[in-house]
Amino acid sequence: MALPSSTPETGQDLLFDRSGRTQWRLGFDRAAGWLLPLLFLVAIIPILDLVYYVGAQALPTLSLAVITNTNPRDPYALGVPIESTVEVMLWATAVAVALGLFGGVATAEFLGERAAGWMRMSANLLVGTPSVVLGYFGYFALVLGLGWGLSFVAGATTLAFFMTPYIFRVTDLAYSSIPRPIREAALGAGARPYQYVVKVAAPIAFPQILNGVFLAVAIGVGETAPIVLTSTHSVIVPPTLFSPVTFLTAAIWLNFSQPPGPALALAFQAAFLVLIVVVALNIVVRIISARYQKRLEGLYQ
Amino acid sequence: MSAPPAASNAGTPTGPSDQLSGASSSPRRRSGTVGVGVAIAIAVILLLVGIAGGYFIGKGTTSSSSTTINLTETGSSLLYPLFNDYWFPNYTAPNVVLSADSTGSGTGQSSAEQGLVNIGASDAYLANASQTNLINFPVAISAQLIYYNLPGVNGHINFNGTLLGMIYAGQITTWDNPLILAAQNTTIAGELTGLSSQTIYVVARSDSSGDTYLFTSYCYMSWAGFPYKPATASMSLSGVPSANVLFGDGNSGMVTKAQGQPGSIAYIGISYEASAASAGLQYAAVGDNLTVANGAYAVSGSDYILPTTATVSTDANLGLTHLDYGTYGLALTLIMGGVPGTLTPTTAGQGGTNPAAAAPATQPYPIVNLEYALIKTVSGGNVVTSAALAATVAFMHWALSYGNWNAQGSASNWINAVHFVPLTQEVIGYDMTALASVQSST
Amino acid sequence: MSATPTPDTGASREPLPPPASGPPDLEVRTGSFRPSHLIPFVPALVPTALLIAIVVELLISSKFTNFGLAFWGPHWIPSPSTGAPTFGIAVFITGSFLTAIPALLLALLIGIGIAVASTSYLPRWLTRWLDPFVDLLAGIPSIVYGIWGYLLVAPFFGTVINPVIYHNFHWVPGFGAPAPAVEGVGLPVAIFILMLMALPITTLLIRDALRAVPRDLWEAGLGLGATRWETTRRVAIPYAMRGIVSAGFLGFGRAFGETVMVAMVLNVVPAFPLNFYSGTSTMAAEMFTQLDSAYGNGQFLAALSEMALVLLAISLVVNIVGRRLISRFATYDVPGL
Repeated sequence: MALPSSTPETGQDLLFDRSGRTQWRLGFDRAAGWLLPLLFLVAIIPILDLVYYVGAQALPTLSLAVITNTNPRDPYALGVPIESTVEVMLWATAVAVALGLFGGVATAEFLGERAAGWMRMSANLLVGTPSVVLGYFGYFALVLGLGWGLSFVAGATTLAFFMTPYIFRVTDLAYSSIPRPIREAALGAGARPYQYVVKVAAPIAFPQILNGVFLAVAIGVGETAPIVLTSTHSVIVPPTLFSPVTFLTAAIWLNFSQPPGPALALAFQAAFLVLIVVVALNIVVRIISARYQKRLEGLYQ
Repeated sequence: MSAPPAASNAGTPTGPSDQLSGASSSPRRRSGTVGVGVAIAIAVILLLVGIAGGYFIGKGTTSSSSTTINLTETGSSLLYPLFNDYWFPNYTAPNVVLSADSTGSGTGQSSAEQGLVNIGASDAYLANASQTNLINFPVAISAQLIYYNLPGVNGHINFNGTLLGMIYAGQITTWDNPLILAAQNTTIAGELTGLSSQTIYVVARSDSSGDTYLFTSYCYMSWAGFPYKPATASMSLSGVPSANVLFGDGNSGMVTKAQGQPGSIAYIGISYEASAASAGLQYAAVGDNLTVANGAYAVSGSDYILPTTATVSTDANLGLTHLDYGTYGLALTLIMGGVPGTLTPTTAGQGGTNPAAAAPATQPYPIVNLEYALIKTVSGGNVVTSAALAATVAFMHWALSYGNWNAQGSASNWINAVHFVPLTQEVIGYDMTALASVQSST
Repeated sequence: MSATPTPDTGASREPLPPPASGPPDLEVRTGSFRPSHLIPFVPALVPTALLIAIVVELLISSKFTNFGLAFWGPHWIPSPSTGAPTFGIAVFITGSFLTAIPALLLALLIGIGIAVASTSYLPRWLTRWLDPFVDLLAGIPSIVYGIWGYLLVAPFFGTVINPVIYHNFHWVPGFGAPAPAVEGVGLPVAIFILMLMALPITTLLIRDALRAVPRDLWEAGLGLGATRWETTRRVAIPYAMRGIVSAGFLGFGRAFGETVMVAMVLNVVPAFPLNFYSGTSTMAAEMFTQLDSAYGNGQFLAALSEMALVLLAISLVVNIVGRRLISRFATYDVPGL
């Protein structure tokens, strides 16, 4: 780092040095202090504009009657996509929690360092995988390979596979960040692995895991490719597991290019609902994680 | 759940000095009690479960139960408005609902082939359908319009297949091209010239589209130099050389793209006429090249035909005279009055039936076609169950009769709403025969 | 081992084993190995199994078709009217990079700016609210970005921004004729929205990296009379360079794999872009929109599967390199990465 090149003429403090170079440096810093925070606007203005636009397009057409309209004879009813989304998310969350929770616990507690590292890297890679690749996997493996067809179970399971790495990661982190003295105390008192995991560690890790489930649900609700590629449109909530299912984002995808009318209104309504659910869940996640912030210095690297 | 900072010297506060990073050197201890945040989370979960439970309870009181048969349809976006907005909502058979999806004729064909849906909708006849246990059912007669977005032009521009082919092949690039002007009346020619070399923006379909098949068939039949040979296996305009090409997904995407770009031209199905009109697009009067020698375009105003129910019906009737059910089944092109004995001509510029020779009372609008529904002839798999197949056959019965013709003997309101033309009784008769064979095999 | 005579404590008999590291085993193996002992380990394999399953499934569905060198060529004609289909994915690879790299560079620049502003210039009470706000950008579903982009931002670009760029920069090669369409969909709006999607990731990672700079370094710089900007630039950013590079990789991975938004907002056409304003296609967008056109067409499906493998490979490499540079927990709060 360069020292200031000018010297005070009379030994005054540098703060009052009026040399040109220092003036320039201070002015530059002051300007940066104004300009750089303005870059926040690059992020803030689009998000506000997006929320306002989607809300302004959707809210005039939304009403309780519209939301609860499940009439299969009405092609632009919103109730069926909402209900279908709830059902798909219930199934997908159940499967994702089943896979990710036990996987995370097993990785944090039972695997050795190297193996655990591989598992964590796999989970991180899965999180970074484009959703369309998972959609392709769902199509080839579930729709064609297992013969499930374009169905609710294929779509929801593909979505579950998409959500699993998030829950896996957060469970692993939660269990890894339990302070070692607690673990040693439990083991020293004679706890068996099951007892430690379920009775000692789970209550401590539970808020974090729940947080992660919320985040995974927020991500799953907004996903389009896994459902669109593995299911076809349906006007009713799936009566059986192998019936097709629609989804809020699939309804958006189907209708967004339609001219202004009931179809485009449906797209905006669905977009608005997805947006508020996702934003609300994200806010809840942040509030909870801010309250239970943990540090991992040196505990489990 | 939080992100720990990257490794730093233990005990050294991190972060810039005028920030309180809030680092604590020891992790907060958590005992086995649940805190306020968890209570919040549990409350949220209970709320969601309550909502979900409410839905499920409400669902139990509606007609949707496990005995409801959900017939899935996918495919042609040209048929989609008729299915989604009119036929499916008004089909009131108990315990049967139908779900429509707009994905393009190619997807309709392949989905039906693979048994992924109950009904595949296609603008183009699927050849060798029996190899995959499918039958092509014409369900209606539709037309395709040529729309353009030129706010400065009032009235209908005249086009024919040669001009359209040249535009899409990139040989005509501006609206005041002499070839285009020569086909117009003086008013429109003047307005086009007044656009001062406005570029033509070509809008084409990006998905595997029966509309593309119809459009390329029309251009192919009209102009010997058209470079794209239509094939039902392709249905896409691969490599349109025009520099100013926009791609729309589905007919609705074509409307949106054309609306957003002044100077654009697009081929859009007639079922989207209302939305195209409200988008400010105008349709063209389309000519039949066969009124003059091949390769030369018609110059007389009467050779350019506006799409109306009468002109579409004329062309449909003209084309249906070539119906040879015994040899070709219901594979038939109605474009330019149809061609005897084939789907489309195998050589470019071969044209269709010369309407002058057939001497119809009204001129035939040239871009007309049969809309096909593809259904399986035998049940199998999770989707085309025997109950679903029987329900599909029942729906087809309804569509061919009530869907097309109302009790007074005129076209049903739904057909009129999408500006289609109902099937002739001869075609309906053949359809019913084919349906009976499906029924007897389930 | 002492040489002097000591009372017999047993400690001199044999060396003690070195102290154990890592968390103590939950279970001390007392009996012989039984297969049921493996049961607790099995769920841990889920992510790796899923990853391997995806790769294997794509390999199977591609039927190991060897498309030859033409696979990397520029001609993508899956359904020609005459002749054999050719599957050349050069267009899509180029398109993916062409959309992701400018978006990433912009996201990096703006992300560094925001992170510096957040750590050095703004008071804590403000950044406590602003930082999560920026992170919220990552949570917005891409289809909502897409519908907003398609219906609002693209016409804005088409009517306002693209003509301005065209008017002023048409002499730059690549920014000239043909004039941009009023419709507005194309590369500019796609890059802009991709930048918005990569921004929270770059911002978060760079912010964390800057916050991890030890305070004594900050104080040393400031104490020597450097301004905040100079300290940041000369002290903090070089120290945080690993995090910045990692932010670049992970943000690139996010932008590279973006599917639905690009499919809606880019004027998807399987051809090289003619100029800056035109559309092209990316691997993810093409895969998403063309799968339902490929049902039953074995070769087409195989080509799409192989393209999926290429996309997966690139995104895996980018992610591996990116994650090596940071703590593995750094991005857990950000949806999507």
